[in-house]
Amino acid sequence: MAKKKDYKNDFLHQRFDATETDYDQRGYHLEVVLDVNQVRKFAQTAYDLGFYIVFVAGLHVRPNEGHDKGNSGLVVVYQFARYDQLYRIKARVSVPNTLEIPSISDIYQGADWHERETRDLYGVVFDGHPNMKPLLLSEEDPDFHPLLKEEKKLKSLDEISWPSEAPEVVKGEAEAETGR
Amino acid sequence: MLESEYQEQNRFFLNMGPQHPSTHGVLLIVLEMEGEYVLDPQPVLGFIHRMHEKMGESRPCQGFMPNTARMDYVCALPYNHGYVSLIERKAGIEVPKRAEYIRVITSELNRVASHLLWLGAYLLDLGAFTPILYGFDDREHILDILERITGSRLTYCYYRFGGVYKDVDDKFIETTRAFIKRMRKRYVIYEKLVTKNIIFIKRAENIGIVSPDMALRYGMTGPNLRGSGIAYDVRKNEPYSVYPEFDFEIPVGEQGDCLDRYMVRVQEIEQSLRIIEQALDRLPDGPVRSKVKKNIKLTSGDCNFAVEAARGELSYYLVGDGTSTPYRLKVRVPSYSNLSCLPELGRGILLPDLVSILGSFDLVIPEMDR
Repeated sequence: MAKKKDYKNDFLHQRFDATETDYDQRGYHLEVVLDVNQVRKFAQTAYDLGFYIVFVAGLHVRPNEGHDKGNSGLVVVYQFARYDQLYRIKARVSVPNTLEIPSISDIYQGADWHERETRDLYGVVFDGHPNMKPLLLSEEDPDFHPLLKEEKKLKSLDEISWPSEAPEVVKGEAEAETGR
Repeated sequence: MLESEYQEQNRFFLNMGPQHPSTHGVLLIVLEMEGEYVLDPQPVLGFIHRMHEKMGESRPCQGFMPNTARMDYVCALPYNHGYVSLIERKAGIEVPKRAEYIRVITSELNRVASHLLWLGAYLLDLGAFTPILYGFDDREHILDILERITGSRLTYCYYRFGGVYKDVDDKFIETTRAFIKRMRKRYVIYEKLVTKNIIFIKRAENIGIVSPDMALRYGMTGPNLRGSGIAYDVRKNEPYSVYPEFDFEIPVGEQGDCLDRYMVRVQEIEQSLRIIEQALDRLPDGPVRSKVKKNIKLTSGDCNFAVEAARGELSYYLVGDGTSTPYRLKVRVPSYSNLSCLPELGRGILLPDLVSILGSFDLVIPEMDR
């Protein structure tokens, strides 16, 4: 690993909300919070910079009541990394109530299967995907999404974020849960 | 008859699998064919989908350990390794040096076993029956060595948070050294039998060329990527455990055809043996397991850990919520991304070449379906 480059500024220049993170603690270097209409631009930027796609995954949290109305509680997480040096990026985007977010499968063809899997497990529909059919789960029951959590088990995004981002109060709440 | 009508008449669909021997498991590939040429191969997954990720988030994190080995049953120990390392990173657990050395030795043994199985199975796909007998013979030695230590032959659950389940003894070291010596002699046989075999070369050379850009778009990793000339190995690129302490090389291919992928794996066996040898020489004394609380709290926040499994980069992505049960556990498996390029790679090739490509990808279906 001769050359080491920090890609934070490349993403900040494109006006993405990028924060550097502690690699030893989290296993990735950069966290990017995306808006729905930024997803494709972000993927294109990552592709132009030479990142490869690691995975696309879903996450089910309690929808925000207050300031962030109109999100469904579903979050899509993207991870990208590099072949030539150690640099991992995690990006997340909150899925709106329509459950539709733009597909990146024409930029990263590898996202095709990951997006179909996310549709299977969470019901997120990737707009512009050429073949949004069930992949892992059965075609007979396309509306069954096993990774959606029950209402009482849902936690808000703040509760499952690192303490530096979330207020301290949350910790006590989570502690009480461990009784079971 | 119009030419287009003639073409229409010659087109048909062919189901390859889910019980076809060269799909190495229950994988179905629906092929749109024209004569002997494949127009569009579409893999159909999910025949043995078990929803491991749901199991991961519905029990305390210790309970998921046996699941890890059941995703990739051919090379289970790196799956163990990734999961324990993930929890150790999340919960800040220290691991004794001796335990890390044992993890590396056993993981590399498992990698050699996986490559040997692949070697035999790939050549079986291509119609050569003998190599699988040689491969299984050698692999059997590894399974015997690992069985004595781990207690199982295939679906290991040997690593624990903070170390390994059981210490290795002198007999383990002795038999492992004997295996390395034996394996080095066997190379000569493999070389004569397979590598220089003209029939094999004709079936593998210039077939299924994966370009570096294509690899990047699909997120390919492991030997399949290294065959295309990109020296990316998680063990070097993102060093974990005690891998930085060992001297080993990353074999790469030139153009990314089936032959390159074959050569990369064969050379990797030797590199793994080198790592095992060095680790045995320098195996430190001391405990193999540190004291870990029974109830491991996973603090809130997400965390990622990647290891190099036999087929490529394996990433565990965990979201904790302060309890001992993960809120979300995503497993990124290498074969899934590797196979996803098949519709592009397999367009317009001959059916026997598709069999060669599938074999050279070293697929493990339970890993893809999870």
